[in-house]
Amino acid sequence: MAENPIEPIHQFQVRDIVPFGDVGGVHFGFTNSGLLMVATVIVISAIMLVPTAQRRLVPTRLQLVAEQFYSFVVDMIEASTGHEAMRFFPLIFSLFSFLLISNWLGLLPYSFTVASQVIVTSLLAALVFLTVLIYGLLRNGLGFFKLFVPSGIPWYVIWLVVPIEFISFLSRPVSHSMRLWGNMLAGHIVLAVFGGMIVGLSTIGFLGWLTAVLPLGMAVALLSLELLVGALQAFVFAVLACVYLHDAFHPAH
Amino acid sequence: MRDPHDTKRPEKPGDDSPDTSDLAARIARARAAQPERKLPVDVKVPGLNGASRGYRLASEFVAAIVVGGALGYGIDFVAHTRPWAMIVLLLLGFAAGVRNIVRASAEMNKPAAPSEAAASDDETKH
Repeated sequence: MAENPIEPIHQFQVRDIVPFGDVGGVHFGFTNSGLLMVATVIVISAIMLVPTAQRRLVPTRLQLVAEQFYSFVVDMIEASTGHEAMRFFPLIFSLFSFLLISNWLGLLPYSFTVASQVIVTSLLAALVFLTVLIYGLLRNGLGFFKLFVPSGIPWYVIWLVVPIEFISFLSRPVSHSMRLWGNMLAGHIVLAVFGGMIVGLSTIGFLGWLTAVLPLGMAVALLSLELLVGALQAFVFAVLACVYLHDAFHPAH
Repeated sequence: MRDPHDTKRPEKPGDDSPDTSDLAARIARARAAQPERKLPVDVKVPGLNGASRGYRLASEFVAAIVVGGALGYGIDFVAHTRPWAMIVLLLLGFAAGVRNIVRASAEMNKPAAPSEAAASDDETKH
């Protein structure tokens, strides 16, 4: 990776802000990624806690935003998992709000997109996966493994269907994390490519400055698209977490 | 007292202040006065819908194959049976990928069926 700021990959570098040093050969430090995570949590807390502190019956605008945010996630869980899954509301709400705000904060200049690192998205997906697995086993006992045995299958194809369902189950966290990561990574690379094009064209001279309007227009359009993609991917991630949680409640399908 | 911003939450459900006691009736009246309209919150984004569906299906399919292949490679590595487990599990992963796609597309079509039947009819006719 070159130390060239125009490089489209440069924006994904995780850099130390406060290095803590190495412990057992593993490097620790407060990074730009960590800073954006902390900023995300602060922004979410500010949106959710400050306007609702007064608990007005007739809400102010910001309190209405917080209330809509809340009821949006409630509706999402009710629609895709059912009312009994409301005990997982904190998890789903945290996932959705964290991804939404971090994706949007990542669009600010000199910022960092937390979800563009595959380790972040895969750990979030692993969190959902393990929640489904552990809660499903606790709730249903060994009946949870009915998940791998679809009903109405004749005995002579069961031995083939069960491994397929097993691999299908294991593939969930992979696709779950890859989709979010891929979308954020690809979107930001495309943005940086068009941004780099502006810089490159501007070195040519006056004619270059004139033609640089074209990639600038693309960058503006893509930035608004990225706002949409960031929200959509946060929503999709949370909805899929709900869909997977559905299996923990109703393993037989 | 008649200031609408003064309508804080009553301490107990019983002791409604005069401001809020007829609130339900007032809301009903205001609703009736407004013309019928659709909810502004629409989760589906028409333009990006096709692309996001495509990404979803593609990632579901690829993920199953990757997991199948990785699982097979791991079994081969432990049991020294290279390459047989990988071949078998890669094929099973392929089947699981198709299963994932069938399930995902069924999921996608299910919620759209009642309310947006007309819209999806238009899509299929093209």
